[in-house]
Amino acid sequence: MSTQTALNTFVKETGGWVASQLEACTRCGLCAEACHFYQATGVPEYAPVWKVDLLRRTYQQRFTLSGKFKLALGIDKPVSDQDLLDWSKYVYEACTVCNKCSMVCPMGIDLGTLIHDVRAGMAAADLVPADLKAAVELQLKEGSPLGVTDDVFDDRLEWVGDDWEVDMPLDKKGAETLVVFSSIEIMKFPQNLAAIAEILNAAGENWTLSSKAREVVNFGYYEGSRENTVIFLRRILDHAVELGVKRVVVTECGHAYDALRWTAYNITDVPKDLEITHITHLLAEYVSSGRIKLKEGSLNGGTITFHDACKIQRKGGHIQEPRQVLKVLAPDSFKEMTPNKEEAICCGGGGGVIAIKEADPNRYAAFELKIEQLENVGAKTVVMACSNCRLQFTDCVQHFDLDVKVAGLAQLVADALIE
Amino acid sequence: MNWNAFLEFTRGQLFNVALLFFIGGMVYRLVRVILLGWKRDRVPPAGSKLGGVVKTYLKGFLIWPFVPWVKRTFSRNQVMYLAGGLFHLGLFATILLGTPHMLVWKSLLGFGWPTLPLPIVDWLAAVAIAAMITLLINRRVNPVLKLISGPAEFFNWLFVFLPMVTGYIMTHHLWFPYEVLFSLHMLSVDVLLIWIPMSRISHFIFYFFSRTIHGTEFGKRAVNP
Repeated sequence: MSTQTALNTFVKETGGWVASQLEACTRCGLCAEACHFYQATGVPEYAPVWKVDLLRRTYQQRFTLSGKFKLALGIDKPVSDQDLLDWSKYVYEACTVCNKCSMVCPMGIDLGTLIHDVRAGMAAADLVPADLKAAVELQLKEGSPLGVTDDVFDDRLEWVGDDWEVDMPLDKKGAETLVVFSSIEIMKFPQNLAAIAEILNAAGENWTLSSKAREVVNFGYYEGSRENTVIFLRRILDHAVELGVKRVVVTECGHAYDALRWTAYNITDVPKDLEITHITHLLAEYVSSGRIKLKEGSLNGGTITFHDACKIQRKGGHIQEPRQVLKVLAPDSFKEMTPNKEEAICCGGGGGVIAIKEADPNRYAAFELKIEQLENVGAKTVVMACSNCRLQFTDCVQHFDLDVKVAGLAQLVADALIE
Repeated sequence: MNWNAFLEFTRGQLFNVALLFFIGGMVYRLVRVILLGWKRDRVPPAGSKLGGVVKTYLKGFLIWPFVPWVKRTFSRNQVMYLAGGLFHLGLFATILLGTPHMLVWKSLLGFGWPTLPLPIVDWLAAVAIAAMITLLINRRVNPVLKLISGPAEFFNWLFVFLPMVTGYIMTHHLWFPYEVLFSLHMLSVDVLLIWIPMSRISHFIFYFFSRTIHGTEFGKRAVNP
């Protein structure tokens, strides 16, 4: 491990954008109150302000007079190897980069992005938790962190196509829309593949899957390595160009959407006329334009609620779309949790946390906040548009033995289609 | 000791030096941060960046900076929101709308403005002082604040507290001769002016950076900031 490499990465990431925000922090500690990991565990080191403290120390000691002065006098200590080991736990095992903290900060500091920068330093110093690292390496080598090799992908598509009797075009030239699934959907929620295919076909969409750009998950983005993030982004972008599609639709995957829609443009070349959007956007558009017809009120009955994913709603902006759809499906029984929309509490499994075994206690603790919300609204079904959230919910419902049904939005829409 | 001469020094030469140091120091910090470079954001926006910025300032600045817009955050830290908000209110009311302070501004800027009656300013100052004491206790008790507070945080508190408390005692003509209190008040103001560029009290400038960034980021994504 090389502490210096981490520090150099911090310095490289530090432009006016980062520096001005580090300068704005008054150390009031209010961000702690927004963090589900701090709320759930009470560990002060999980406060977002503390998670970015390495970045702040490096910045001050390298760039500011007072920082240099304090370092020389011994008031402030240089960042040590042990610090990096400690912070690796804080930023990977107790943070989903959900960015709720930035909504509470009186200064409005974009803490999520700064924590991502801390992860970048960790990745450069090779301090990524072993489980996450293994997943990154699998994705580099095989193209997938969950073992979706060429053969597995073909098998899965064939099986899904046969079992659900749905047409799934692959590498179709002349298609307008490229759909990219997450590996979680391919391996754990294959029904989602069928559901999305059914909806697209019903809407008469000219779409395709790609055998090369077959999954959208970006474990390089989780670990914070720009280099790996770009490698995984290019797999999608290059093959989108090759196929000549007009838009890329990310399915139910949050972090990947954040990487492709809101980050890619600043770290690699994205073709100008290529539109990148989320499946939730398509669903709402199809419903409101009448391209697909749904059985209205088909989900009326037990209370149904929507869980906002941090990367698709708060950071992705698709806040109204899922609600438009749910109000058609369950006009009487749809109820909001509190808080919701951009203020929602994160599921606790995103940002790579669910992939790290050591983070399990944190992950379960954070989910207890979600349980409280579900109980308060009396939810029988909880819907979401992120398969990472769905994995966390499915696991936690089992872990805590809850009587709640977990569902993906696309799945519900497909079930309610009128042929 | 000749207090009148000392007063002349603290409100004359020393004040001028401190003020120049304050302005020079803040300009230096501002320029240094700006010169670190700004990358152009090439992400195609889904919403209006400007709209996000306007909204976030309306929410966070013009109305009341400490209103916890996010549900349930207020109940978790009432002391901090109330004391933090009241401190800033009392502080700004005193230094901008207190008559003696307005006259200082007038001598520096060349123009003045209407002020609040003394009893109101006096009460607001007392509230601000009480809020500061509450905030200090909170900083010593809250586990997160204990973790993130070093000597600098306590100096910040002390160097803001001293001008406030000397000013308050002076207004009420308590305990010490007027020129002694006035000298100490001016001395503490001078110290504060010198301290600000070296500390996080400078957030009054960088606030505008982080708020604007916040509004831009949320507006770009068509999310309410």
